[in-house]
Amino acid sequence: MSKSEKPTEAIDFEKALAELEGIVKQLEAGNLALEKSLALFERGVQLARACKDKLAEAELKVSQLVKDKQGLFSEEVFKEERG
Amino acid sequence: MLGEYFSDVWIEGEVSNFKAYPSGHLYFALKDEGSQLQAVCFRHSASRLKFALEDGLLVIGHGRLEVYQPSGKYQVILDAIEPKGLGALQKAFEQLKRKLEKEGLFATERKRALPELARVVGIVTSPAGAAVHDMIRTLRLHKAHVKVVLFPAQVQGEGAAEQIAEGIATLCARPEIDVVIVGRGGGSIEDLWSFNEEVVARAIAASRVPVISGVGHETDFTIADFVADVRAATPTAAAQLVATAWEDLETRLSDLATQLLESLQQVLFEKEQAVDELARHRAFDLMAARVAELGHKVERMTAGAEGATRGTLRHAVAALAVQDEKLNRQSPVAQVLRRKVALQNLAARLEKPVLALVSGQGARLGRAGAGLDALSPLASLDRGYSICLKPDGSVVSRTGQVRPGEDISLRVSDGSIGCRVERTGGTDTGGY
Repeated sequence: MSKSEKPTEAIDFEKALAELEGIVKQLEAGNLALEKSLALFERGVQLARACKDKLAEAELKVSQLVKDKQGLFSEEVFKEERG
Repeated sequence: MLGEYFSDVWIEGEVSNFKAYPSGHLYFALKDEGSQLQAVCFRHSASRLKFALEDGLLVIGHGRLEVYQPSGKYQVILDAIEPKGLGALQKAFEQLKRKLEKEGLFATERKRALPELARVVGIVTSPAGAAVHDMIRTLRLHKAHVKVVLFPAQVQGEGAAEQIAEGIATLCARPEIDVVIVGRGGGSIEDLWSFNEEVVARAIAASRVPVISGVGHETDFTIADFVADVRAATPTAAAQLVATAWEDLETRLSDLATQLLESLQQVLFEKEQAVDELARHRAFDLMAARVAELGHKVERMTAGAEGATRGTLRHAVAALAVQDEKLNRQSPVAQVLRRKVALQNLAARLEKPVLALVSGQGARLGRAGAGLDALSPLASLDRGYSICLKPDGSVVSRTGQVRPGEDISLRVSDGSIGCRVERTGGTDTGGY
C-alpha cells in the first residue's frame, strides 16, 4: 500500500486505532480524490483487520511464579483448583 | 523471694502514664477499674513490640513481679506485650495510618494512572482462595486478553505480610508486568490484617508499576488501600478495572470499522451523484439524436439498396458499423456508465472486508453489522463490474489518461486482469 508497512510487525493497538481514527476523520472530511479515498480506506481495513485478528488470537493466560531452591522464580501454568 | 513466686505472670490492663525513655525503656501503668500497677518494658523487649504503646490501649503482658526498692512499690517487668482485642488492632491501624499519611504515602499526587491497556497483570494473592478465581473469571468474562502472572502468597497469619510484600516486589521487578493487583477475599479484621502491615504498605509505595488493591468487601478499608494507586472495593472490582480497558478497545474498534465504512459510502455516494448529474447533461440528448439520425440513414440506404450492387451495400454497412462502434467508444455516455459501474463495483468489493470485520465480532459488533446492512445503499451493488487501474494504482476515468501500448489492469471481484491499451479515442467530456 504505502511507504514501509511491515505486516509482520507486532500490532500496537493504541497506535493502530489512532491511525484508524485519523483515516476516518480524513474520509469524513471529504474533498479527496477517489484514489486517495480508496487508499485510505484500504489502509483502514488493513488496520482494523489486524487489530481484530490480534484480539481474536489473544487468550487469557494464567501462570504462577514458583521459587526454586536457589530462590529464583520460574513461571508455571496455573491450574485453578476448582471450576 | 517475691520474684520466685511471681516470675511468670500474665497481666491485663489499660496503658496509662506512658513514657518512652531515650534509652529505649518504656515506663507506664497498667490499670483496670479498681487498681493500677507500675510496669516496665526494657529496651530489649520493647524493640520486639509490633505496635506502639500509648495511653488508653488495652494490653496483655507477660513478665515477673518485683519490688522497686527505692519506693518499696510493686512493679511488673514485662518481656512480652500483646494488644488485646479489636480495639487494639484498630489502634495499630490508626497509628500506622497516621504515620504513613505524615510521610505523604497517601498523597493524591503519588497516585499513578493505570495503563490504558494492561497486557501483563501481576496478581499477589492466595492460589487457593476465592479471590484468585473471582479475578480470573472476571478477566475472562470481559474478554481481557491479558497474561496473568500470579505470585502465590499466604494472605493471612504469621509471615503473610512479608510474603505479600515479596510478591509485589518480585512482580514489579519483572519488566513485562504492566500493573499489579494485590488482594484477598473477605474475612474478619484479623484475617485482613496483613494488608494493614507496614511492610506491605512500603512494598506498594515502592512498586515500579501502578498497584490496585482489592481487599475484602466494599466496607473494608486497609492501609494497602490507602497506599495503592487505585483502591478497588473487591478483588473482582480490581480485575474489572483492568478488563474494562479491553472492552472499551473492542467497542472502539467496532465503532471505527463502522465509521470507516460509512465515510467511504459517503465519498462514493458523492462521486456517484456527480456522475449522475453529468449523465443528465444536454450533450447526451444531442448524442441520442445523432444515433437516431444514423439509424435513419441505414434505413434509407437499405431502402435504396435495390439499385445498388451487393458489394457497395456491404461496404456502406461496414463503414457504418465502424462509425457506430467508434461513436460508442467515444460516447461520454459509455464513459459515464463505465465510471459508475466501476464505482459500484468498488463499493461492493470494499464493503466486504469491513462487514466481515464487523460481523465476526461478538454480540455488540454483530449489532453494529446489522445496522450497517440496514443503512447500506451498497448492499445490492455486487454485480461483477470492474475498475480500470494504471500501474501506479490510479483509477483510469478518462481516455486521456492512457496511451496505446500502455499496460493497465482491470480489477474484478476476485483479482485483477492485466491488459494493454490498443487504441484510445473520443473527446474529453470534462466536467469532473
